[in-house]
Amino acid sequence: MKAVERIEQHYLLRQLPQATALVGLDGSLVDASDSWLTLFSLPPKNFMEADIFRVMENVSDLKENLSNHKTFSFRHHLGEENDCRWLESTFTPWYDEKENIVGSIVQTRDISREVEKELEIERINAILKTKSEVAQVGCWEYDVQTEKLYWCDETRKIHQVPLSYQPNVNEAIEFYKPGYSRNKISMIFHKAIHESTPFNERLILVTHKGEERWVQSAGKAIEKNGKVVKIFGTFQDIHEQVMTETKVMENQQLLTALIDNLPLNVFVKDLDSKKILVNKSECEYLEKSPKELIGKTDFDLYDEEVAKISREEDLEVIKTLKPILGKETISIKKNGQTTNFLTSKIPLFDLEGKVSGLIGISMDISAIKKKEDQLRNLINLTSIQNKKLINFAHIVSHNLRSHSANFSMLLQFLKSEDNEKEREHIENMLTQASDNLLETLENLNQVVDINTNINLKKEQLNIHDTIVKVQHSLAAFLDKNQVQIHNEVDKKLVVKSVPAYLDSIILNLLTNAVKYRDPNRKPVITLTTKKLDRKVILSVSDNGLGIDLERYGDKIFGMYKTFHNNRDAKGFGLYLVRNQVEAMGGRITVNSEVDKGTTFNVYFNEESK
Amino acid sequence: MKKVSSIFIVDDDPITVFGIKKMLKPVAICDDIQIFQNGKEAYDALKSRITSEQGIPEVIFLDINMPIMDGWDFLKEMIDLDIQERIIINMITSSIDPSDYQRWNDFKEKCPHQLNFKNKPIFKIEVSDLEGFHMAS
Repeated sequence: MKAVERIEQHYLLRQLPQATALVGLDGSLVDASDSWLTLFSLPPKNFMEADIFRVMENVSDLKENLSNHKTFSFRHHLGEENDCRWLESTFTPWYDEKENIVGSIVQTRDISREVEKELEIERINAILKTKSEVAQVGCWEYDVQTEKLYWCDETRKIHQVPLSYQPNVNEAIEFYKPGYSRNKISMIFHKAIHESTPFNERLILVTHKGEERWVQSAGKAIEKNGKVVKIFGTFQDIHEQVMTETKVMENQQLLTALIDNLPLNVFVKDLDSKKILVNKSECEYLEKSPKELIGKTDFDLYDEEVAKISREEDLEVIKTLKPILGKETISIKKNGQTTNFLTSKIPLFDLEGKVSGLIGISMDISAIKKKEDQLRNLINLTSIQNKKLINFAHIVSHNLRSHSANFSMLLQFLKSEDNEKEREHIENMLTQASDNLLETLENLNQVVDINTNINLKKEQLNIHDTIVKVQHSLAAFLDKNQVQIHNEVDKKLVVKSVPAYLDSIILNLLTNAVKYRDPNRKPVITLTTKKLDRKVILSVSDNGLGIDLERYGDKIFGMYKTFHNNRDAKGFGLYLVRNQVEAMGGRITVNSEVDKGTTFNVYFNEESK
Repeated sequence: MKKVSSIFIVDDDPITVFGIKKMLKPVAICDDIQIFQNGKEAYDALKSRITSEQGIPEVIFLDINMPIMDGWDFLKEMIDLDIQERIIINMITSSIDPSDYQRWNDFKEKCPHQLNFKNKPIFKIEVSDLEGFHMAS
């Protein structure tokens, strides 16, 4: 009977869905469900030999706990690390009919999955914590219902409050700097609760220690059944970042202001010589906006030749990495405007030290250049004047010296001469020398007058009438030489000239023509005028001896240069004429052919002062 | 007193010509003193003397500043005549222009004749002005 019962009991136990075992007081395994046996990998038969201490050999204190005869449970694991299963066993006292404890009922559950999940959560929490610490990103959570605010440790750290600090919403808001930051956070937090609007703002926090720090505060409403129940947010210290950004922005602004206000054209080009930065001066010079200039090359902006030269310079700088400094360049824009620049091109390197383009700086030196040209002209003019002066000084020195030498010589002769007749002869010579000296001085004076009175007043003079007047004063001389004069000058033509000079020019050219007449022909002089641009040309042509210009060239206008064996030739008239013409800003040229005649052309410059 | 076969005076200033002639009297005996107003006249005369095999001058007094052909041009043309005899040429000038002196120096190098340079005023002509240094060639 007992056996039957046992069997029945046994059967019942075996089929229990929960793994269950019966253990005797000595720890021997009395009975167990199949599921329990499977859990511990025990064979269905012969398990009676096993006792619970052997089955749960890695559970410590099992004996003591059992002897307490109380219900207890614990976690334990089975198997090695890689194939490890977590179990939870509960020991409950086993009573017989007389309420005597005869052993323990063991119920075991496989809790591997739960443990795994727990571990996973633990791991995730740890990661989260680390992450939050490393990134200095804290988080917070606000329960709308309970009005409780939760801060993570990182959030506390950012507020510089002790980790035990428990915040509430009002305190949290008061951590923000009064003014914009505090108003803003109040507003957006309110909006998040009531309108479920997420926020993400950069604001200034005043920490528990009184430091002002930039933080990034973000929040998002969590809804349940269309109602906001929680606000979850992140909280980040971005102070260093904002400071760096501000610094960078300040630096950039400084740089931009500096570049833009430099009185220089500044540009940066990439390796293809495309402009990637231009300053205000450059834009103003090119009459284009920065937008229009960025990405353009010199070929888009300048004359082709100029652009080619510039591109070659760019390539040179990029290739050799040697800057071009202070090079004088000429830029011609598409519209033909020419500007002189002092240009520097400096290679530009990226952060890795590789050449990425070049920086160009150009200074407009057109005005300086113009001044330089003016100065050069002035120097040329001065040097011409100087040459003239030296020449004149030589003339003076030579002419005066020759007279004084004659005086000395003749006086020396006179001193030692006894012969009365010879003395008289020498005295005659002295008189002649004295006359010569006087004449020379007079000539020199005239030249000095012309060259010192450069600003003599010019008048509008009728050339035709002046010729008639001079002809009149020379009547006897012209008659004697049987001169024919053809005055073919336009009767109405006037030129601006100094009256005395015009008289002298015509007089000297007429007498010159007569002096060098061909003895075999009657002298014929023709005077004509021509207008050319803004000049009037007076031409005086004769049929005289002519002169070998290839041989004498410009010498004919030199002082005391005569080229014909002629008693009247003093070599002064033409020198005087040239000085007078040049003093009035004009010039004189000569054409001549030996035995045919000579033509002098006097250019009156209407434009000069 | 030195006997000179022929002397040329080339100068357009009658006073200087008078002076040279006067100063020659006490130092030279010469029956053939020729006066020329400029280099061209002197050159023409020299050329015709060569072709007609008349004696060429032993001494020439030569002014620099003259019309038509000046002293330098005369010298240039004269060198081209390739005269074998060594002529004594006294350049007489009132010029103190250093460039004239430089030119004289340049000419002295290439001129086969004896080239002297005399600044006016001159008061006396020495016998040595009429004699060449006879080089031991």
